[in-house]
Amino acid sequence: MLDALKDVIRKSSIHVCLINTGGCNGCDIEVVALLSPRYDLEQYGIYVHNNPREADVILVTGAVTEQWREKLQRIYSKAPEPKIVVAIGNCPLSGDVFNQEGSSVYAPVSDFIPVDAEIPGCPPRPSEILAAILGVGPDAIAAKGRQKP
Amino acid sequence: MILPLGPIHPGLKEPIRLKLKTRGEKVLSAEIDYGYVHRGIERVMEGKTWQKGIYLSERVCGICSYIHTQTFAETFEKIAGERAPIRAQFLRVLTNELDRIQSHLIANSTFFKAMEHETLFVYMLHLREPVMDAIELLTGNRVNMGWNVVGGVKMDVNQSHLDSIMKIMMDLESEYDKYVEMFEHGPLLGLRSRDVGKMTRDDAIKARAVGPVGRASGLKHDLREKHHTYHDNFDFKVIWRKEGDNYARTMNRFDEITQSIRLIKQVIENIPPGEVRKKINIPAGYGDWRNEAPRGEVTYMIETNGNLINNVSIRTPSIMNIDACAKYMLKDVATVPDALATYASVDPCIACTERSVIIDDESQELLERQNKKEE
Repeated sequence: MLDALKDVIRKSSIHVCLINTGGCNGCDIEVVALLSPRYDLEQYGIYVHNNPREADVILVTGAVTEQWREKLQRIYSKAPEPKIVVAIGNCPLSGDVFNQEGSSVYAPVSDFIPVDAEIPGCPPRPSEILAAILGVGPDAIAAKGRQKP
Repeated sequence: MILPLGPIHPGLKEPIRLKLKTRGEKVLSAEIDYGYVHRGIERVMEGKTWQKGIYLSERVCGICSYIHTQTFAETFEKIAGERAPIRAQFLRVLTNELDRIQSHLIANSTFFKAMEHETLFVYMLHLREPVMDAIELLTGNRVNMGWNVVGGVKMDVNQSHLDSIMKIMMDLESEYDKYVEMFEHGPLLGLRSRDVGKMTRDDAIKARAVGPVGRASGLKHDLREKHHTYHDNFDFKVIWRKEGDNYARTMNRFDEITQSIRLIKQVIENIPPGEVRKKINIPAGYGDWRNEAPRGEVTYMIETNGNLINNVSIRTPSIMNIDACAKYMLKDVATVPDALATYASVDPCIACTERSVIIDDESQELLERQNKKEE
């Protein structure tokens, strides 16, 4: 009974924290575009809040730069369980164009924190980001919540 | 007491650290830490051809990505001593102004979000989506367009696309005034934005403020006036105000959007036929070029050996504007939310700003890590 209730709550109220770990901003503004009436992220019960301490979904955009190497893990550990990580764009997957000789980029993000879903694209369209968050978000959070620690 | 905000904070869109020195509710002064998104683009660009360089220059910043490629291309055209075909120049103006509209709309929406005015925040995003459609129609992409090349633009545009863009602009213009009026005459919004974060003209000159931030403080300076395409073919007015507060900066952006719509209409009505791209032989040499980005003046300084880029240096407007904000606007602000709203009103773009890294001589920490990575 209690587990079923928790499932419903976890599926229908998702707080999102957006972390730019060193990208070009393009993916960030596509996430902001999701808040517009055309896509209307909040109708699915998803709220972009940018507060890691109450986040259920962490969106990571950008290759990992020097400053983020330790901070990314610290921010990840601050988010309460259950949590999932969605990597948006090419940068967190491979470093994209920045991952070349001479740059100060330490991609991929999966070296630092576990990544649950990846959306390639430079940048991906808002509808793709929305589909990925909805596809992996509610059920994965509920499933992780049911696991015994 | 020192109140640290960021790098991840509900009030900030991008990673930056604000240290506010407060006494009670009042913010006395502020300090800003950079360095969270420094990727080393200029270093990566060295030793590459311009085809790779222009791709990298687009990824300096995602919001004003267009103007970086245009400035990069025009720097190379200056080194070669040539200009793009006239139709390509018109198309560049068209894309530049569309990009300016969407950038200003998202800047104002961020400001309204920082003021906790959700209604106008969503209205601004609602106005922005058709403009993104127009950009997609013209270039094929929403954010990183890949539209400029040295010597012109990549592809020609159909008349039907221009007609659609014209219609989008007409719709935007008819709806636009309603939302501007909400801010312009809204009594509560006025109370929270007038006389907050004030910067005088003298301070703006000292801080080298550029773009809408400088123009709202009385610096009548717009590089579009000096650009040959705008200078020869178009008629527009430089918007500037005297107040120098959050209200002036936001209204300045709103009024500039009206001018951009005017410019787009002029482009579509007067666009000449002809080629959109020509071959340019690049000699060895050095060149620099300045352009008016949505946030102010962007400078590219490039040294080439005729084939590869030897050296490149990029100066973006947010560097000066964020420093102006920290030093002259964020002092004696009444409350912390006002300080955040002031910071958002400057339209800071952190991805643009992170252009160099300063290494502490004593620790050499960064250099060592760099070396380890190469091994």
